[in-house]
Amino acid sequence: MSLAVDIVKSNGKSERFDRDKLHKSIVAVCISVRAPQGQAEATAHSVCDAVAVWLVDRPEVTSTDIRTVAGKHLKRYHPEAAYLYEQHHIII
Amino acid sequence: MGIPISLTIIAFAALIHASFQLSVSMLTMLSGHAIGAKKTQGKLFGLTTNFVIGAGLITLLLISGLSFILASAFGADTPQIIWAGACGLLFGVAISVWMFYYRRNKGTALWIPRGVARYLHDRTKATSMNAEAFGLGISSVIGEILFIIAPLSIGALTIVSLPDTWKLVGLAIYTVISLSSLVIVWMLIGGGHTLGRIQKWREDNKYFLQFAAGAGLIALGLFVYVNEILGTAVGGM
Repeated sequence: MSLAVDIVKSNGKSERFDRDKLHKSIVAVCISVRAPQGQAEATAHSVCDAVAVWLVDRPEVTSTDIRTVAGKHLKRYHPEAAYLYEQHHIII
Repeated sequence: MGIPISLTIIAFAALIHASFQLSVSMLTMLSGHAIGAKKTQGKLFGLTTNFVIGAGLITLLLISGLSFILASAFGADTPQIIWAGACGLLFGVAISVWMFYYRRNKGTALWIPRGVARYLHDRTKATSMNAEAFGLGISSVIGEILFIIAPLSIGALTIVSLPDTWKLVGLAIYTVISLSSLVIVWMLIGGGHTLGRIQKWREDNKYFLQFAAGAGLIALGLFVYVNEILGTAVGGM
């Protein structure tokens, strides 16, 4: 599903929502907490679906919004991965 | 100052050095990206090991370089004004640690400017070769020089005052102990612990670590001041 939603990044630039990019980041964070590949893929699909539904009537959102919504849904499937996903930009 | 007391001071200074967290944060991130990118266990081991070696090597260079400068300038008998200055540095850094070492929000975000943090984050994410990880380990120590300069200075001053053969022992003790926190995280990652648990522990205990580092610097400063300044003054009367 391709969504015409603009994502405003923290540096002020904007780009079109890329489901594949979100999927990859969710898979990566699941793998980094040692989740099996299959579980990581299934979790990423579910989270991306939930984010896509949330985006349907929103033409423009920030990357922080995407991260917050994705993190909230990820928490239902894999709390530890959600924690690391949330922490990603505040470790250093 | 006797050899056992000198070695204890060096070990304590190194322990305070080990409590600073930039290297640990970067090692945690490096491991997270490597595991998330499905790198093999061997590759993960190579990257993290090279990071730790880089941090260890630059620490050894810094402590030995500072010792050399102090020995060249003052010989084995460092003037009291230099000891007093180093104590002042310890107290100043202790207050700075208490005031702004960790940012007052979620996570383990440190005092460093956000632009620098983003750069380090991006570099860590882009690291895929052992040589890059080695360089990253070096950067992580240099990046925290404003804080580690205090324990490094006391360590170097104490090493200079040791007999020649014990100087090497002092350098080794400082380097090994200052790497202890990094080595513990390296072993946990290698042992299969998840990064989520490691990061959770770090976040839950960050204010304790902050308090302990500051208190340690004050305690070290007081001990050195009493031992080197007051002790000499009273002994010389």
